[in-house]
Order: sequence, then structure tokens, then C-alpha cells
Amino acid sequence: MLKQALTLWKKERTKKGTTLRRRLQSFFLSVSLSLVLLFALLLIVFGITGTGESTVHGHLETELFGLVETINDDFGRAALGGISIAEDLTLRSDHFFAQQQITAAQLPDHPELLEPLLAAQIQTLISTVRNRYCGGAFVLLDATVQPDTSDADRAKAGIFLKKTLPTATDIVGVDIHYLRGPAQIARDHGIMLIGQWRMEYDIEGQEFFTHVMEIARQNPDLPLSRLYYWTPRVTLKGNSESGFLLCVPLRSNDGTVFGLCGIEISDRLFKSFYTPKSGVYENLFTLMAPSSGSDLLATEGLIAGNYYLTGSRWTENLLSVDTSKGLLYFSAGQDDYGGLTAALRLYPEGSPYSEASWAVALLMPRALLDDAAKGNVVVLICIVLVLLALSSVASILISRRYLHPVTEALQSIRQPSADERKAVPYVEISDLLDFLEEKDRGHEEALREREEDRQQLLGQYEQAQRELSRLAYSRKTEVDPDLYQQFLNHLSTLTPTEREVFDLYLAGKHAKEILEILSIKENTLKYHNKNIYSKLGVTSRKELLRYAALMQQESK
Amino acid sequence: MKRLLTLLLLAIFTLALLVGCAERSPLDPKNPVTLSMWHNYGGDMQSSMDMLIDQFNSTVGKEQGIVIDVTAISSSSELNKNLTMIANGDPGAPAMPDIFTGYPKVAAQFLEKDLLVDLKDYFTDTELSQYVDAFVAEGIFPDGGLYVFPIAKSTEVLYVNKTLFDRFAKATGASVEQLSTFEGLADLSRLYYQWTDSQTPDVPNDGKQFYAADSWFNFTEVGAVQKGGSLFAGEALDLDSDFFRSIFETLYIPAAEGGFSIYDGYSSDLSKTGDIICSTGSSAGILFYGDTITYRDGTVETVDYSILPYPVFEGGTKTALQRGGGLMVAKSTEQKEYAACLFIQWLTAPEQNMQFIAETGYLPVTKQAFEEDMPVLLDTLEDLRIREMLTSVLSMYDSYTFFTAPNYSDFDTQSSTFEQDLKAFLTEARSRYLSGVPQTAADALTEFLQP
Repeated sequence: MLKQALTLWKKERTKKGTTLRRRLQSFFLSVSLSLVLLFALLLIVFGITGTGESTVHGHLETELFGLVETINDDFGRAALGGISIAEDLTLRSDHFFAQQQITAAQLPDHPELLEPLLAAQIQTLISTVRNRYCGGAFVLLDATVQPDTSDADRAKAGIFLKKTLPTATDIVGVDIHYLRGPAQIARDHGIMLIGQWRMEYDIEGQEFFTHVMEIARQNPDLPLSRLYYWTPRVTLKGNSESGFLLCVPLRSNDGTVFGLCGIEISDRLFKSFYTPKSGVYENLFTLMAPSSGSDLLATEGLIAGNYYLTGSRWTENLLSVDTSKGLLYFSAGQDDYGGLTAALRLYPEGSPYSEASWAVALLMPRALLDDAAKGNVVVLICIVLVLLALSSVASILISRRYLHPVTEALQSIRQPSADERKAVPYVEISDLLDFLEEKDRGHEEALREREEDRQQLLGQYEQAQRELSRLAYSRKTEVDPDLYQQFLNHLSTLTPTEREVFDLYLAGKHAKEILEILSIKENTLKYHNKNIYSKLGVTSRKELLRYAALMQQESK
Repeated sequence: MKRLLTLLLLAIFTLALLVGCAERSPLDPKNPVTLSMWHNYGGDMQSSMDMLIDQFNSTVGKEQGIVIDVTAISSSSELNKNLTMIANGDPGAPAMPDIFTGYPKVAAQFLEKDLLVDLKDYFTDTELSQYVDAFVAEGIFPDGGLYVFPIAKSTEVLYVNKTLFDRFAKATGASVEQLSTFEGLADLSRLYYQWTDSQTPDVPNDGKQFYAADSWFNFTEVGAVQKGGSLFAGEALDLDSDFFRSIFETLYIPAAEGGFSIYDGYSSDLSKTGDIICSTGSSAGILFYGDTITYRDGTVETVDYSILPYPVFEGGTKTALQRGGGLMVAKSTEQKEYAACLFIQWLTAPEQNMQFIAETGYLPVTKQAFEEDMPVLLDTLEDLRIREMLTSVLSMYDSYTFFTAPNYSDFDTQSSTFEQDLKAFLTEARSRYLSGVPQTAADALTEFLQP
């Protein structure tokens, strides 16, 4: 049914043709559609809109590559710096032990020597904090000022200096605060005590100290370059800021491991240095953490860049859940994240810690990553649709506006009077209308001339008729009835041509006119005349016309 | 046709108007704006502020598209140092943060270069009327603009190590009432020095110091006001006055004799090691005092602190300094300024303000928090140190007159120079005293005032 209707409609359309407006709209729409599609194609070809996951992956890969390079470099230099500090502090300590005539192993038995020993070491720490990449520097001795108390096992003497502004350099001015250590040493060096200051460290629950000391004692032959250790994120007891601690053992020249020293990569320092730089994805963040297989131990790591998250409040590890087109996805409690990871190499070959695996990851909440992976396709589609809609509306409006005067002009052609036509803004149409008007006038003139000719001929005809009647009436009485009867009787003997000539005479035609009508020569007419006269028994054309007039009179 | 076009245009206009009304905020949650923030809430206060900022970022910030990124936490003095570098455009100065804490004197430097947002552009009069008038007034400058928004306020109080004082009072008969005046403090300091010195007869002049002030400039400035005068004449210090002479004398003698400690740092440092018994400092410094003393030999003693009203010079009126800076917003894009003000509004709302107060000991800034929420808080507060401090400060607000330091741009330099010069002079005076060549207060003053 529908097919039939469609066929009928098409047939009708073909028969009648389409409207100007439809044709123009179709044309405009085709052009608009082509331009919009070309625009979309160019965006895709030149990668302006991106193609989803591959774009995100490419971006993360580039960012991660730079980040891994930076972290490896920074942490490598930090390790070298830590070793250098340890060597310096060990040298000073050995000198001190020699002065005091004790060995490093005897230090715990001389608590009164701890403050002078630390006083001898603080300058190295101040210099480290001022000049090196760190959030703080520390020394921790395996001894306490109060060896006889019940807490002696967990109390350790030492110094911890913190940078107030971890990213500050000497140029801007480094403000150093005193987190741990004898107060008098701080006062002697004009260093302010921090709110959480304590004289000694409390290492209860912070295994890194005993761990590093034990490993160093178990490997007396290894150089310091194989004995440094990076702690997972740790918050010193009583401190408000967490960070990674680089721990390097202090080993005296007699091989006694009597403490450790190192630097802190604080939460704020990490955040300042390792926040993703590009800013393309606002919620992208860096996570550096120990790893276990594909999982990231985020609770032991530091993060930088995602401002909705704070490292110290991260309470879930990131469990690897799946991968898709090179992107890794993790679950952390109720939250899911996705991105890329890369392994870090914090320890050299031969280090007892070389089995420890660390990773750096660039991550963002999964929902946002999925959005980013969709690229701008949705946006592109929306733009294309909006452009299409706008161009369609524009096509309709422009077509209407453009054709409006044309259709009006066409309408006005039907108006009987030229005066009633509206002005047309198109020259071509105006010219056409003028031409048609001119032609109309020509036709009217020719018609009038023909009418005049017709009226003239009609007058002549009526006059001839009147003459004929008058003649018939005047001759009727003069005509011999026998001759007239003979005339009538012999009419049928006329040949067709003679009859034609006779009828023309009868119609009032002159000889010249008959010559023209029948296209015959004068002699031929004379020949026909002679035969006609002979057959009808008349002697002249005048007599012939008389009988004919009488005959017509009678037939009326 | 024309009708159709008109209708179409009308529809587009209406739609744009509706969208415009719905989107009055220039923020976009999908493209959050990041605001860098510097503040001076270090130590224990840092975690309170961090917690609030995390809370904002994960709630209102996330909904509205604002991220507060704390890029520096430092002491007031260091923050001021860096801000001054920024204001002066010094080479190597860090980038100006979008939001930062500071005192009006810092704002004055930025205002000279038109770098601060007038917060009246973002807060209506009705909104501002919800804050304690005096606190808002402190941030208003001569041009009528509000450039420093109150976030938390403090005053100065007298911290007394009650454990040590009771021990001293028991042995010498010293009275706690004497701590209400600076002259009483001076007398007690002499007594305390003599008492502690006498405990080691073999070692002369090893008595202990009794009192320290976090700022001797504040000591002098408040003293002048208590005595009915002023330390300033226009935008300069006016030290040629009877008020100053009297204050100098009260300070000079115990400082030279060793009862007053001239220390280049916060007096809480000295308190932590039991090197002083009492000190004047910001009421917001309570967390820095701790509840223990660590002696040089490593012995740790648990102690109690009393928080007493700020002492008054004899014959003076009960007057104290109103302290606590505020938040300033750097001129930036409309989006950033709007976001910063939204954050400030959230941070100073009674709920958040009280949370910060309860953990730090500052005073709230809204009328509701100050007048209605504080009494409730005092009944429920678990931290006894903060409870005692707030009780003491509230009692001061009933009986004391408060004033704020001047705002002119050279104030910071002048006050710092005065502080350093006075400390150096008093340290030298102590050395002279120990060398056996003491100076009279009058001679010392003449010398101090010499250009």
C-alpha cells in the first residue's frame, strides 16, 4: 500500500516536476552536509579530536616516561648524597671517638657524649638541608641519653632538621626547623624548635631503624652504596608530616654500625616535584609506592597531583583488576582508578634490597579516565549534529528568503494588469517580465488588425449578398423558364473542376480570384467557362450569374 | 516569514537567558580551577588545616570545581619574608599564591601595587554582618576595601608553667597575683633568679630566667597603650615619651639581671626545656607548649600550664593586642577570585570555624560561633589546654580593651628593626651586668635612643 502510494507520488512528482524551493533547499542541505562532514573528517585526520584510548595512552606514556626519568635521576642523586653525608658524619664521629678515647661500640655507655657528638655533626646536616634536594636531613644514633630507663630500647639520640619550605633553595632562603635533637644545639645554631619537637626519637613501631642496622651488620663487606635503604612512607612518631626516608648506615672505621643518617623526601616535596606537568587531565596524579606483582601498595606510597586526595589519608592499596588497550585498572576499596605504571629501580645490583620492587604510576579515577578515553568523539558528534541542525535551518530560511521574490514574481505574471505587479529585486526576472509584456502588446496589436480585416470582409460579403439578391429579384421575371429548367437540369453534367469554378462564381469570386484560388491559368479558366456555358445553355457570365442567383433565391 | 524569524530569535534569547541564570557561577566541576594556597598553620595546626582543606576539596570543591592546593606552610615570619619579596618583585621571588594568610601590614605592601582583591566585591553587607565587626574592621583599609578576611583570631596571654611556678611559690612565697602586672613579673623574675642561683652555691650567676616574651615590640606597643599613650606618631615610632621610658625601665633591669630571657625564637622553645616559667605570646600558640618538659639530661617531666590574662603595667588599663591575620586573595581571573571567596566563606562558616578552633585554640570569627557556639564548645572540649586557654581569652573579652596594630606599609620593617635592636641591646646589657659593669636604666635608655 505504502509502496504504491510512494510510486504514485514519484510519478506525480516526475510528471509535475519539483518546486524551486525544494530544489534549492536540497542543494543547500547537500552543500552544508558535505562541508560539515569534511570538517569532521579533517578534525579526525589531523587528530584534533583524538581517538579516545590511544590518545590517552599516548599522553600518559609520554608523561610517565618523563616522570620515571626524573624520579630515577632525583632518587639516584639523593642516594649518592645520602652516602656522602654518611661518609662525612662517620669521619667526624671517628675523629670524635678518637678524641674521647672510646670506640663506636662504647658510645651507648657514654650518654654524656651524645650531645657533643651530635653538636659535631649538625653542621653537615644544616649544609645538607640547605643545599640538597630534600625535605629534611637526619642522624639517628643507636644510643640514648638515658640508657637506664625502661624506655631506653626505643629511645634513640639524634637530630632531625626539617625544611619549612621543602622546595626553597638558598637563594630564596631556607628556613630550618628542629624536629629532634638536644635543644641547646638548636639554640646554639639559631634554629627554632618545631611544635612537635622531642629531644630523642621514639622508634617503637618504626622498624626501618632496626632493619637497616641489622642488614648493615649482616653485610660488613658491602660498601655503603649497597646498604642504603628507602623506607616506604613513614610518619615519625609525633610528627605531622610523612615521607620517604633514605637511610644510610653509619659504620665506623672499625666496622661498628652505630647509627644511620639520611634525608627525607617529604609529602610536600614529593607533591611539589612530581605533580603531572601537562595539565591536560586535571585529575591525573602520580603515585610512587612499593609494588607487589601488579598491585601497588598505595598506603605505603606518596601521591602528587590529585588534589582531591591526600597521600596521608590514602587507606587502601591498589589491586590490579584488569587491563584494556594498554591501560591498567585498579581497585582501591570502593574507588577504581586507571592509568599506566612503570617499575622503578631504586637499588643497584648487589644490594640486599635489590629484590624490593617499586613502581611509579600515573592514575586518575576510572570514571574520569573512561570519559577521557572516549575522547572528544561525543563532543564531535554533538558539534556535527548542531552544525547540521543549524545549516538545515539556515538552508530553509535562506531558500525561502531567496525564492520569495521569485515566487511572488511568478504569481504576479498571472495578474491581468502590469500595474498590479510588485517590484522584483532580480534583474533577470524583471527583464523577463518586460519581455513578456512587450510580446503581449504585439499579440494584441495583431489581433486587433485581424479583427478589422474580418469586419471589412464581412461587410464586403454582405454587400455582395445584397447585390446578388437584388439581381436575382430583378432577373427572375426576365428569365425564360425553359432555359432556366435546362440550366438546372444540366448542372449535374458539370465536371468536378467545372462545378468548382461554377461554385466560385456563385460565391461571388471574380475571375482573378478564381485563378489564384485554383492556381490555374487564364486560358484554362476560359476553357472551363466555355464548357460550363455550353453545358448550361448560357452565353455569358452575366447570364450564368443571373440563373445562379435565381437558383440560390429558390433554394432559400 | 518575519514572524517565524522573530519567534526563533526570541526562543534563542530566552534559552540563553535561562542558561545564563542557571550558570551564574563561573566554575565548572568538570574543569576544576586550582588555587595555590600558603598558610602559616604549622605543626599540630597543620593537620587541622589539612583536614579542613581535604574536606573542602572532596565535598564543596568537588561539586563546584575548586581545588585548594597548599603549596607552602611556614611560620608567619617566613611567609611574610616571601610575600614581601613577591610584593617588591624581587628577582627569584616565588610565584604569588592565589590565597595566603597574613597580617594587614603585609596587605598594605600588596595594595600599593594593586595586587589584592577587594573582598567586598564578593561578600554582601548581609554576609559580612555575620562576622564579628571588629575582626572585619581590621581588614578594611582607608580606601574602604576589605582586603584581609578574618579566619581565626587570637590575642596575647600569659602562659605559666604551673608545675614549676607552684614549686617556686612554695619555696619562696611568691604569689600568683603578682603575675597580673609586668612590674610584678619583674619582681618575681629577680626572686626566681636568686632562688635558682642559690641552689648551686658553687656556681655563681647560674640562676634561671623567669619570663620571656615572644615579641618585645608587642610588649612595648601594648604597654604604651595600657599607659594611655601610643608607640607611634603617624607612620613612625615615637620612643621619646614618658610611656616608653617607663616601659623600658621595667624591661631593662630584669633583662640585665637575668630574670627576663632575651631569646631569639619563640618562648615556647624555652618552656619545653624548663628554661623559663612564664611567657607572653599568642593565645594560638598553646599547642606549641606541649605538656612536658625535657631537661638537658633527657629527663622528661609532665607539667601543667595555666593560662592567665595578659599582664598590665601598674596604673594602666586592661588592654591587649588583637592578633591573628586573615586570608588575602590575589587579583586573578574572575573564576579564581570567585572560587577563592567561596572557599573563604566555607572555611569561616561556623561549623568549619569551630572545628578549627577546637583543635588549635584560635578564636572564631562569626558572631554565631563566637557568641553561641563557643560556650557549648567549652563544655564539650576534650583538650583541657585549649579549654583553659579559650576560657581565659573569653574572660579577657569581657574585661579587656583590644586594639590592633597599625596597617601602614613600613610597619613591618620598623617593628622588626626595633625588635632586633632592643634584643641586641638587652643581650649586651646582660653581658655588661655579668662583667660587673652594669648601667643604670636611665643611662641605658639614653644610649638606646642614640641614633
